[in-house]
Amino acid sequence: MDSESLEMLEAALRKTMLSHSGAELDAALAEIGWHDMLSDAPEVAVPLVFRLLGETGSHASVINDVVQQAADRELGATPELPYAGGGWVVWDYQTAADSTLGGLPLRRVDDGGLLRLADARRALGWWLVGSARAMLTLARQHALDRVQFGRPIAGFQAVRHRLAETLVAIEGAEATLSLPGEDNVDLTALLAKAAAGKAALTAAKNCQQVLGGIGFTAEHDLHRHVKRALVLDGLLGSSKELTRKAGAGLRARGSVPRLAHL
Amino acid sequence: MTVLSTAEFRSQLVAWLDDNDLTPPPGDATLSGHIRQFARVQRALYDAGWSRYGWPEHAGGLGGPAMLRAIVGEEVVGRRLAEPGPYSMLEVLAPTMIDYEQPELAAEMVPKLLSGQESWCQGFSEPGSGSDLASLTTRAVQNGDQWIVNGQKVWTSFAQYATRCILLTRTGDAQTPNHEAITAFFVDLDSPGITVRPLRTMHDVDEFCEVYFDDVAVPADRMLGKPGDGWRLAMDLLPYERSTCFWQRIAYLYSRFDALVGEVKGLGQAVDSELGEAYLALHTLRCRSRATQHRLADGHKLGPDTSIDKVLLAGAEQQLYDTVRDLLPGVVELDDTEWRTEYLYSRASTIYGGTAEVQRNIIARRLLDLGKE
Repeated sequence: MDSESLEMLEAALRKTMLSHSGAELDAALAEIGWHDMLSDAPEVAVPLVFRLLGETGSHASVINDVVQQAADRELGATPELPYAGGGWVVWDYQTAADSTLGGLPLRRVDDGGLLRLADARRALGWWLVGSARAMLTLARQHALDRVQFGRPIAGFQAVRHRLAETLVAIEGAEATLSLPGEDNVDLTALLAKAAAGKAALTAAKNCQQVLGGIGFTAEHDLHRHVKRALVLDGLLGSSKELTRKAGAGLRARGSVPRLAHL
Repeated sequence: MTVLSTAEFRSQLVAWLDDNDLTPPPGDATLSGHIRQFARVQRALYDAGWSRYGWPEHAGGLGGPAMLRAIVGEEVVGRRLAEPGPYSMLEVLAPTMIDYEQPELAAEMVPKLLSGQESWCQGFSEPGSGSDLASLTTRAVQNGDQWIVNGQKVWTSFAQYATRCILLTRTGDAQTPNHEAITAFFVDLDSPGITVRPLRTMHDVDEFCEVYFDDVAVPADRMLGKPGDGWRLAMDLLPYERSTCFWQRIAYLYSRFDALVGEVKGLGQAVDSELGEAYLALHTLRCRSRATQHRLADGHKLGPDTSIDKVLLAGAEQQLYDTVRDLLPGVVELDDTEWRTEYLYSRASTIYGGTAEVQRNIIARRLLDLGKE
C-alpha cells in the first residue's frame, strides 16, 4: 500500500471511529473491509486500527478477530481471553456486564483455553500507545492554555519534564512494537505489550498530574483514556506480570536474548 | 569488498574473531591496561580491514555504511575485547575530523586513530561551562599564521593518553552571539604550554582530566572548519555519539546483564521482577537505538529526537546497576569486584554527555513544542 492510500485509509478510519463506538463501530469497520485487511495485510492493518482506537478513545471487539485469526479459526467469535491475576474474560457487546471500568464490554468467565497470544498482545500494545498519545496530546494542550502565576504552566520545568518523560516512554514502547522480532515472536510480543502498558500507565500518571483539577472531572476527556489504559493493561497479562514472566525466562535460560539486530 | 548484508558481514567478522584471539591479557584491569588493549585490538582490526569498513575511502577507510562500524563495535565490546569508553572516543572524533578538517590532513590523521597508533580526546567542558557549553571561555586569539590559546578544560576523557585534542575555543568578541563565537581546533597535545592533570573520581578510575592551556600556539591550518563553526561541529557530533557509539555501549550492558543473570539464576522466583524490569529497559533502549540507526542509514538527519535515546540509555544503565546492587547484596559495598566500579560509574550516566535534565528540556522544547521556559 503506498503512503497516499495509507493516509486516506487512516483518515477514513479515524472519522469512523470518532462517530461510532462499540458494536456500531464493529459493523462500520466490517463495511470498510477490516476482515480482508486483517487477513491480507495484518502488518499494516493491526498497528493502524489499534493505534487509532487508542487515539480516538473509541472501542470495538477487533481483538477477538486477531486472536481467532492467529488460531486459524473463524472470525466473529468471542474467545475467552486471559486477564491479569489468572482470570478470564470475554469481549462481547451482546452479553456485556456493566461492571467493567470505562464502558468496555468485558465479562468475567470461569475458564478459558490455551491461545497463541503474540499477535493479540502486539495489537493491544498499539492500542495502549494510542491511548498514551491521546493523553499526552490533551495534557500538552492544557499546559499551553492554562495560565497560572501569570504564564502558561508549560513554562514550568516540572511540568515540561513530566511531559518529556511521557514522550520518552511512548517512543520507547513504539520501538519495541515496531521490532520485526522473527527470532522469537512470543518474547518480542510479550515485551512489547509490557512496554506499551507501562508507557500508558506512565502517561496516565503524568498527564493526570499536569491536567490538575480539570483532568479529574468527567467533563474533560482524560478520564476515558485513563480508564481504557487501566483495563487494557490487564488484558492478556499486565505490564507487571509480563515483565516478571520475562525475568523468569532469563533465569531459566541463564542468559539474555538479544532480540533486536541491525 | 563486494556489498555484503549486515548479517553476512557479522558472520564473517564473528568467524574472524573466533580464529584470532584478542582476549585481554589476564590481571591488567587498570585504565592504562584498557588503553593498551584497545590499541592492540584496533591494530589487529585495522590490519584485517574490519575497523576500516564504514569509514570513507578518502580518510583511509574501506567504505560501506556506518552501520558496519556499529556491528564491529557490538562484537568487540560485547565480547569484552575492549572497554566501551576508549572506543567511544574514536566513534565520536573520527567523523568530526572527516567532516571538518581539510581533506589532506584528515587523510593523514584518521588512519592513525583507526589503527590504534594514536588516541585523541575531546576538549569541550570547562569548570564554568558544563550544561551551558556555549558559555565556554577558553580563548583563541589570532597571531599571524597561528592562534594563541589560553584557558582550562575539564572532564576531558583519556587526555593523559591522547596525542591530540579536538578543542572548542572562543574566538568571537562580546558582541558575537555565543553560537557564532566558538571555533574548533585540532591541537597536538605535546605543544608547549599544555598541562594535563587526571582527576580523582569516586569510582577510582582516573579517566577524566583537567587540561590547562597557557599561551599554546596552534597553527592556523589546524582550525576545524571556519571561525565560528565550533558550535555546529559540537552539535553535528551528537548523531555519531548517539548511534554507533550507543550501540556498543548497549552491547556492553547486555554482556554485563548476562553476567548478572549467571550469578543470580539459582535464587528462584524472588529475582524475576527485577530481572524483568532491567531487561525491559535494556530491550526498549536497544529497539530504539536500532530504529535510530536505520533512520540514519535511510538518509534522515538525526537531531533532538536522539535526546530520547540518551534518556533511555542513562535510565537503563542505572537501572541495571541498581538491580545488581539489589540482587547481589553486599557485593558493591564489601567486595572489591568490577561490580563496584561499574555501579559507581553508572551514577554518572545521567550527567555526562548532556544531563538528564538538559535532555528533557530539549525534548520539551523541540519535540513537544512547548515554547520557552
